[in-house]
Amino acid sequence: MATVAATDTVNIVINDVDLQVPKGELVVEAVKRLGHEIPIFCYHPRMKPVGMCRMCLVEVGFKQPDGSVRKMPKPQAGCTLPVSEGMVIYTDTEMVHRDRKGVLEFLLINHPLDCPVCDRGGECPLQNNTIFYGPSTSRYIDIKRHAPKAFPLSEYVTLDLERCIQCGRCVRFTEEISGDAQLAFRFRGAAMQPSTFKLTDFDSKFSGNVIEICPVGALTSSKYRFRARPWDLETSEGLCLECGNGCNVWLDHRAAKLVRVNGRTNEAINEEWTCDKGKFGHDYYNSSKRLTQPLRREGDRFVPVSWGEAYAEIAAHLGAKSAALVGSTVSNEGLFCLQKLFKDGFGSENIDHRWTRTLPAAGERVAKRHESSIASLEHKKTVLVFGADLANSQPIVHLRVRKGWFLNETRVVVAHSQTTDADSFANLLLSCKPGSLDDLAMGLERAVAEAQKTDVQGFASFKDTEKTTSVKESALREVAAMLLEGNASIVCTASIYNENKPVETLAALAKIAAATGAEFNVYAEGGNDEGAMALGVMTGRNTHEILQDCAMGDLNALWLVGADPLTLHPSRRLAEDALEAVPFLVYQGLLECEAMGYASIVLPMEAPGEHDGTYTNIEGRVQRMQQAVKNPGDGKPAWRVFSELLVRIKPGRPSFSAKEIMDEIAATHPAFAEATYDKLEKEGTPLKPVIENFYM
Amino acid sequence: MSDFLQLGSPNERPRAPRLDELDLKFSDQALAELDELYSHYPDKKSCILPGLWIAQREYGGYLNGEAIAEVAYHLKRSYAEVEGVATFYSMYNTVHAVGKHMIEVCTCLSCQVCGAYPVAEYLKKKLGVGFGETTEDGVFTLHEVECLNACDRAPVLQVGSSYHGPVDEKSIDALLENLRAQEESTVIQMANDIVKVQTGPLKSK
Repeated sequence: MATVAATDTVNIVINDVDLQVPKGELVVEAVKRLGHEIPIFCYHPRMKPVGMCRMCLVEVGFKQPDGSVRKMPKPQAGCTLPVSEGMVIYTDTEMVHRDRKGVLEFLLINHPLDCPVCDRGGECPLQNNTIFYGPSTSRYIDIKRHAPKAFPLSEYVTLDLERCIQCGRCVRFTEEISGDAQLAFRFRGAAMQPSTFKLTDFDSKFSGNVIEICPVGALTSSKYRFRARPWDLETSEGLCLECGNGCNVWLDHRAAKLVRVNGRTNEAINEEWTCDKGKFGHDYYNSSKRLTQPLRREGDRFVPVSWGEAYAEIAAHLGAKSAALVGSTVSNEGLFCLQKLFKDGFGSENIDHRWTRTLPAAGERVAKRHESSIASLEHKKTVLVFGADLANSQPIVHLRVRKGWFLNETRVVVAHSQTTDADSFANLLLSCKPGSLDDLAMGLERAVAEAQKTDVQGFASFKDTEKTTSVKESALREVAAMLLEGNASIVCTASIYNENKPVETLAALAKIAAATGAEFNVYAEGGNDEGAMALGVMTGRNTHEILQDCAMGDLNALWLVGADPLTLHPSRRLAEDALEAVPFLVYQGLLECEAMGYASIVLPMEAPGEHDGTYTNIEGRVQRMQQAVKNPGDGKPAWRVFSELLVRIKPGRPSFSAKEIMDEIAATHPAFAEATYDKLEKEGTPLKPVIENFYM
Repeated sequence: MSDFLQLGSPNERPRAPRLDELDLKFSDQALAELDELYSHYPDKKSCILPGLWIAQREYGGYLNGEAIAEVAYHLKRSYAEVEGVATFYSMYNTVHAVGKHMIEVCTCLSCQVCGAYPVAEYLKKKLGVGFGETTEDGVFTLHEVECLNACDRAPVLQVGSSYHGPVDEKSIDALLENLRAQEESTVIQMANDIVKVQTGPLKSK
């Protein structure tokens, strides 16, 4: 056993086993070290203990000088009791079992025991604990308390009050973790119920988590309600690609159909939480609009064709004057194969995956996009969120920043022209006029320069900055002082490219970061955007130029890989003109969409959970997602389409599996050297920043 | 994972008012009292209870949704949190609007032994309302309460901040007569008394 400094540990005895545990650890946690278990309902390791359910009662005593143990006369709640020197804990005595039985009998008095029709039945902590520790029959013969069943708290969460055991996990979650405090206990005693203000809509970006942490079936998912029983479900480890955070999820499927998404623990990224987009946003797997076979346009209708015919058609039409626009959920393998196909097969370099208003050229891009890992954000002294609505675009980063503020006294500064969810806990709010983020960044740069007594020539005066941004000099100086105290992080997202003069803004922020030693992040937005950037997918013409070239007739063919320019591109008009004018359009995607109407060839794509693949999240962590469900039709993963097509154009040995492609990527891209399937770690492998300009 | 919802439609769900939609009713005096309260406590969260008393006075004795939302607005807490606190305590009237005077009959053990039930029956007959109801003219609300901690005066009634007991039919008649004649609402008076105590000067050590 490792030796630990004496001051930090205490000697305790659990069930006659001596051990050393860190001082102040809770009894429930200490007992886990031995592999023993204390049953719990209200305790949750990521929230503050409250001791509401009394399920964790244990016998506690203290060693006396003569060696005997003097027990406390009453049982103690293990979830609120920190260990102390000489503590003797018993979790398996007759008294403890009697207490647990008593607590469960009380909890079950008003519980409807409608397990056969409860969504939680089969994975319910109350059910499990009752079977292990509870009484076999109830002595209660009166009429149980009744409450309205299946009340819809929101579109996603259904409340069944009768089943509630008042543990307060959901209430504490909204207070401590998500921070919107939308749920509270109303009324008291037997009438106590967790619900929203006047039963209004439960309007939270993280409401789905309360369904998962509810230890009974009181909060259930409206979408999953009565869809399956837990023992009918098969579950696979999956990733959520709704945004670039790369949350780990469980994909629960029944009869090859995805029925629900639950959070999977990954301490480096999402801990165990999901946002509502991730939890409820995977409808497209079972959508009736899924594309199931390749289609070819004949006049004004589509006719089904075989893959071979589709390939032949594409090979005949695509050449040096073609381009590809990529969506955000294509795996690293797909992106790599696409690049190879266009370069080696068609002799074209026009690929882009960005859809923001400004598309910086290679020289203007930020050199480092993710200096802070997601997990490190909770330990920062200061976090400056600049021009980003984290709760919307990076929900898990938002939770981390809030966690730092809640637990570790991180000071959060929010600089934005809109209101964001982070405003509610920001220590300092720099709300500027719309479109003035660039001036704000320069103002901040000046404040930092003045604080460091360096040359401030060429900067706008604070008065001018206040005029353009409405942010006061004192606030800027305060932020500069905070950043200069060290251990700070500046967080931007790629959405800044939709603002005014993003290149100048980011340059100013980068200078601030360099001057203050703060870490600087410009997190990517889409599911695998970071992967696309790390692989250097964007070459040749950029998105705007490609669409303009199409509209002008300079390009003969355009390939849309899981992207619909009509909804993604800021200028719908340009997108329409381009799709109208381009002679040959390939649409490869999951669902029918508007852009498909312009296509000459339509190819069905597999959703991310339908094939093997790796994805790179915003902090450059490469994670693998294995196949969870089967494609409902004849779809193929993007990489397979690209490599099969390449063989037809340029005969050679095609890649047969995603693993092979990843090996190839690792061999050609030094950053991915550690990211082969053999080496990928459980929590994902961070990219290796090996060459200076790898962050192109 | 289906678009088919079993229960209601999400579009019909009532929505909590946004902060800029609130119709704020606190008087200048109430705002000054709130400012005073902030200096008594370490943070605004601690001001929820006294803040609710101010709201109870300002909103005529009944803490409806708007009153709770306004307290939450001033104290920068969530609506649900303030509502949870307000509905926990029985002296905040959160369930229904109350009349000008609230008569609370203790029916706990000592009072019951000394005849609280006949007293309650007499009040019900006389006012023509049951427990938890308000007379049609909106003057009296009758309530049954747990022990008022005045067993020496059983059976006891509470009206506003004063206790009346022991009561019999004759003294109840006189009490009702007096209350009818009284201009000011005892419910608001009581809230005001409590606010005064809470916002009064801090006792020096």
